[in-house]
Amino acid sequence: MSIPAPKARGMLTDSERAKRRRERLAIGIVAILVVGLTLLEANLTALGGSVVFGGNIIIFALINLNIVLIVLLIFLVTRNVFKVILDRKRNILGAKIRSRLVLIFIGFSLAPTILLFVAAANITTTSIKSWIGGRVGVALTGALEMARGRLEWEAGQLSGVAEEAAASMPRKVSGAKAGKILARIRKGHPEGTTLILADRKGVVASSGSAPAGVAEEILSRLKGMSFSERSEKSTTLVGDVFASAVQKLPDGRVVIAVKTLPKADSQKIREIAKAYDEYQQVRLLDDPIRASYIAVLILITLLIVFAASWMGIHLAKQITVPVQMLAEGTEKVAGGDLDVRLDYRSDDEFGHLVSSFNRMTGDLKEMKRHLEEANLSLSSTFEELRRRTQFIETILTNISTGVVVIDRHNRVAMINKVAERMLGIDAEGVIGKPYKDVIREEHFEAIRALTREGEAGRQVERQIDLPLGARKVSLRVSVTVLHDVAGEYMGLVVAFDDLSQAMRLQKVLAWREVARRIAHEIRNPLTPIQLSTERMEKKYGAVHEGDPAFAECTQTILSEVATLKHLVEEFTRFARMPAPVFKEGNLTEELRSVVDASRAAHPGIAWEFDAKDIPSAWFDPFQIRRAVSNLLENAAAALGGNKGTVKVACVHEPVLGRVRITVADDGPGIPAVDRDRLFEPYFSRKEGGTGLGLAIVSAIASDHGGTARVRDNLPTGAIFEMEFPIEPRGRG
Amino acid sequence: MRRFIVPFALLALLVAASGNAESNKKPQIADIGGQVRGREARVNFTLQNAFNPEMVEALKSGIEISFKTEVRVERVHRKFFFNTVMAERTFSRSVRYDAISRVYRLNKGGKEEHLPDINAAISGMTRYELSLPLFIDVERGKKYRALVKTRLDRVGLSEPLRSFLLFSSYWDVETGWAKGDLVAP
Repeated sequence: MSIPAPKARGMLTDSERAKRRRERLAIGIVAILVVGLTLLEANLTALGGSVVFGGNIIIFALINLNIVLIVLLIFLVTRNVFKVILDRKRNILGAKIRSRLVLIFIGFSLAPTILLFVAAANITTTSIKSWIGGRVGVALTGALEMARGRLEWEAGQLSGVAEEAAASMPRKVSGAKAGKILARIRKGHPEGTTLILADRKGVVASSGSAPAGVAEEILSRLKGMSFSERSEKSTTLVGDVFASAVQKLPDGRVVIAVKTLPKADSQKIREIAKAYDEYQQVRLLDDPIRASYIAVLILITLLIVFAASWMGIHLAKQITVPVQMLAEGTEKVAGGDLDVRLDYRSDDEFGHLVSSFNRMTGDLKEMKRHLEEANLSLSSTFEELRRRTQFIETILTNISTGVVVIDRHNRVAMINKVAERMLGIDAEGVIGKPYKDVIREEHFEAIRALTREGEAGRQVERQIDLPLGARKVSLRVSVTVLHDVAGEYMGLVVAFDDLSQAMRLQKVLAWREVARRIAHEIRNPLTPIQLSTERMEKKYGAVHEGDPAFAECTQTILSEVATLKHLVEEFTRFARMPAPVFKEGNLTEELRSVVDASRAAHPGIAWEFDAKDIPSAWFDPFQIRRAVSNLLENAAAALGGNKGTVKVACVHEPVLGRVRITVADDGPGIPAVDRDRLFEPYFSRKEGGTGLGLAIVSAIASDHGGTARVRDNLPTGAIFEMEFPIEPRGRG
Repeated sequence: MRRFIVPFALLALLVAASGNAESNKKPQIADIGGQVRGREARVNFTLQNAFNPEMVEALKSGIEISFKTEVRVERVHRKFFFNTVMAERTFSRSVRYDAISRVYRLNKGGKEEHLPDINAAISGMTRYELSLPLFIDVERGKKYRALVKTRLDRVGLSEPLRSFLLFSSYWDVETGWAKGDLVAP
């Protein structure tokens, strides 16, 4: 699976990615618009005369748009900040580092920006205050007062001239005459002085070079005077280009003495007046100016803060998105998902990291696949090995050959049950021990001699007799040297074959021959002996009537002949035991019926029967019933016929393809000295026994391709075992 | 929830701003009268509530205040869309305090008057008697009327003032069209 670049929490779909792109575009456009519109507004206000009210509407619209855009920017940034906080609260992977980075970015941008804002606002406020309320105001007011003072002084100087002219002016004088008077008076005064005689209608006469506008202004201002001012006899009027003194005549006319200022002086006075006006205006706008500067500073601060915040969020995302992806990917890999692929492309270090991660997971997946294949192969090999080992162990456990493996350090590497039994040792804890510590002292020398020969590299095969308790066991021992593929000595395999069984069979065969000949030799004269004795008894019975010796003798002869016949019959049966007729049948049922018959015959004995999962087997039912019946009769005889327990079991050995029938009793057991001869014909410790029962068992087992043996049933009793293949030789 | 906060806040700001504006008295044209005769119309009217304390203070501080007045004379018909415009003209009137000569200079279309105090200056700026040439002759017995509208002309303001006063509602002086009947003797 592929992990796309996640959002503040989870995974990003294509639509979400497009949404993010739109969002970023919107923020960018908003930022550009805010800056652009702000510049435009600044320029619009500077356009001066071309701006009319219609333009103001546009400006307001622009300002409002500006505010809306700033609000939008704030909203978007705030939304992102809230998202980061929410992601952190929801414990979304990567949210913590992202929020920390955003906090750091905001902190780093906020602290200097606010510091700068406070400093700038302070400097601005202080500068405006010092400019408006400080020395500037005093200087401008002083300059204005000085200018006006100079004009007033000039006007004061002209008062005398106006008085003189007024005094010299007769009543109802014509304009021309008045002009001459004014000219005469003006000559006695400094140049630049103009004298004017005016009535309500306007200028009557004048002398001097004052501009017409000056006289008009003076007359206009005289008209606009209040009643109290108008009632004054003389007054002074000043303007930015002139100073004048006005003297009223009794007939209502006025004499005006005017002095126009040099152009340079009037220009300076105008400038002072203009500066003063502007100062007054600015003083009036003290608060709005300060507020506007602060507002601009706030705007800039907000822009910086939000731009920095947004940049912080963006940068944090740039860092945390791949980290978050890597964390999620690692978590998935840790959970065993090696199909995880991170969908992140960048040419920076994170891009390399993600690419390495993807390569690593790919390699891991490949390695895992190889490992799984190797494991599968190993498991298969191991299983095969285990099966083979089990097979070998089963063979070694079940074969009649005892096997001991001795490693290169003369330690016991393996020993099977048969070897244990043959050598009379307990395999528990012998593995790994030197074989000289394991083998019985009385056996050591004989076996040591064989292993020496084996170590010398010779294949050894020899028959030896080893004492085992009270009896002697005849064994054929073969020693095989083991070498590895490099020819290095690895140890020895010592195999023991118990020859007792073979010898017993040979004895049985010999006994059969003997029995056949004896039966043949005995049976022939028995019938004539019997017939002769009966004839004698018949012919001479009457003669020797009353002679008990005669009757006793004939009866004895007949009885012994009968016994001999029975014996011969047994011999014949033993000698001419028929070859088994194999049939496939249910062995369990056969055994059960034999056990049931014995249970009925010996109800005092506890008969137990156990046979599970025995497959159908090939056997001669008549012979097997006879053999088992003999074993059960022996067991019952060992128990005295009325007490004790006999356990009959049948076990299937699938590996070997054999069945084993065991009959265990808890009677007195078989003395060790008798065991070797137990299956021999005519060996019996029983009163009246023929000694053929177990010989027949052994013969039947042998005819079925199997064996019969006996061992102790601990703590007391004996176990007779008979085993044979479930299929006769030549089949399967 | 968050998506409602921003619009709500903007709406609240607008309502507050409009409420503030409502609390001030609006400038208006009143007492429109006059007569039409021959090819001339004489119109007089008064501008009320044009000068608020802020403007008076500004005027005293030497700021020039200028009004532009549009006057239109119509012959009134029964159906208003048949009304005939007989004269139309825009007048400018401004006043400024001269700190040197200590008079208020009232400029009435190029003609300057020198007024000694603020009241005279305000009076000069708010009382109008205008003469307009008519495009067509006046007919006796017909109905005539004058339409007048005035606004503060910011163009005359100095640069910093113009920028700052843009945002002040006190300087938002503009009347709607006011109507008054003219006598046609």
